[in-house]
Amino acid sequence: MPKLYKFLSVFRTGAVNAASGSAYAEFGNTKVIVSVFGPRESKKAMMYSDIGRLNCNVSFTTFATPIRGQGSDHKEYCAMLHKALEGAIILETFPKTTVDVFALVLESSGSNSISECVAGDLPVVISCASLALADAGIMMYDIVASVSVSCFNKNLVIDPILEEEIGQDGSLMITCMPSRYEITQLTVTGEWSTTKINEGMQLCLDACAKLAKIMRSCLKEVASDSQE
Amino acid sequence: MVGLSLGETHFIQGGIAQDLRCDGRKRLTYRPISVETGVIPQTNGSARVRMGATDVIASVKAELGKPSLLQPDKGKVSIYVDCSSTAEPAFEGRGGDELAAELSNALQRCLLGGKSGAGAGIDLSSLIVVEGKICWDLYIDGLVVSSDGNLLDALGAAIKAALSNTGIPRVQVAAGTSNDEHPEVDVSDEEFLQFDTSRVPVIVTLTKVGRHYIVDATSEEESQMSSAVSISVNRQGHICGITKRGGVGLDPSIILDMISVAKHVSEQLINKLDSEIASAEAEEES
Repeated sequence: MPKLYKFLSVFRTGAVNAASGSAYAEFGNTKVIVSVFGPRESKKAMMYSDIGRLNCNVSFTTFATPIRGQGSDHKEYCAMLHKALEGAIILETFPKTTVDVFALVLESSGSNSISECVAGDLPVVISCASLALADAGIMMYDIVASVSVSCFNKNLVIDPILEEEIGQDGSLMITCMPSRYEITQLTVTGEWSTTKINEGMQLCLDACAKLAKIMRSCLKEVASDSQE
Repeated sequence: MVGLSLGETHFIQGGIAQDLRCDGRKRLTYRPISVETGVIPQTNGSARVRMGATDVIASVKAELGKPSLLQPDKGKVSIYVDCSSTAEPAFEGRGGDELAAELSNALQRCLLGGKSGAGAGIDLSSLIVVEGKICWDLYIDGLVVSSDGNLLDALGAAIKAALSNTGIPRVQVAAGTSNDEHPEVDVSDEEFLQFDTSRVPVIVTLTKVGRHYIVDATSEEESQMSSAVSISVNRQGHICGITKRGGVGLDPSIILDMISVAKHVSEQLINKLDSEIASAEAEEES
């Protein structure tokens, strides 16, 4: 079975000085910066909460896609990023306050317009955001890694590029915490048989574990550098 | 928002653990479903579905449009959901937007299938009139009239019923103009084509409360959930889409378990829905 690993990835923390923590990720064509600000005091209008709040925002630059975009927020991605991260962050550690996670997609591997890209960029955004959260020192249960898989007839392709995404029969995206072996977010489209789903999920989980290893080594490098 | 006392939450959780829920159902039993079709005459097809106190309406409108450049041999379908503030005061103004966006995304994912069209409930190539020039644009709108949990399953069922109620007018392309940039068409107002809805999947949401999961949760039960997985399954037993709600993580083996349960539950749901739709259509005609 042909499986293509496109793990030619770059992960760097500390991309933005002003932020509490930040990370930059490059995966094939996708380039993403995520900054994490806070924890800061929640807005007065918000109700009292004894756990912290997470505020996520994903936006695209105007030049991220082949056809010039509006540079607008991506509502669906915002919600997905929030759901993918909230299960991993120990929100009890910063009551009454809010952590802001701002992701900016500099270059998208997705389709011609933002509305059409489905799975290409989101896994990178999520993985990068968890790295930025770790860099900011926000307490998490585990690093969150995210991978997508496309299905063609009988073949599974990991981390599909745009050309592959157009012709796919289905796609599966998993966000998980590898050390806890827990899935925080899962989306599936297209037609799948149960055996195919099993196979796809296992492939994603293995890839997430590998990805998390890379992310962890990236964090360790920064930590050991700063000690010297 | 549901306000529950500590006693009530214990009662709900304890009931689910013992496989006897507050309204006497078992964990994997649906509330009675009632379907009405043709409720909105201005549309090409419409249906109203009630599951207990949850009440939703779906409408299908077809308009002639231009196919996109990337897929000249396919029509377009868009699904939108509106959460009316008549259902819940929290939906007033922009309050319902977040839920509405979540529901529409989930429905699109579950019903429209993959990019190549695999697993799609609607055959997009059947919507084409003149390739690359004219196609039907289907606008599917869901409206939440009253909300008592399990909105996604109800909306999915309503859309399935509305689609089987939908008639697309037959279109005649004027002879000799089909190669022109703007072919002349004649839309019949007497002849209608019915949709093949046998491939439209149903959505089964499994809500995890404590260590067990339940189908068709009421809003009280939903307020106690840790996470929920919505799985859409078609008649062949293939999975057409999955979305997860709630932030709490799930073990992969639980998800696989949920998938097999959803497949089992969906068989009964599809049969139940089909017979309800058939009797609703029969009633409408008489």
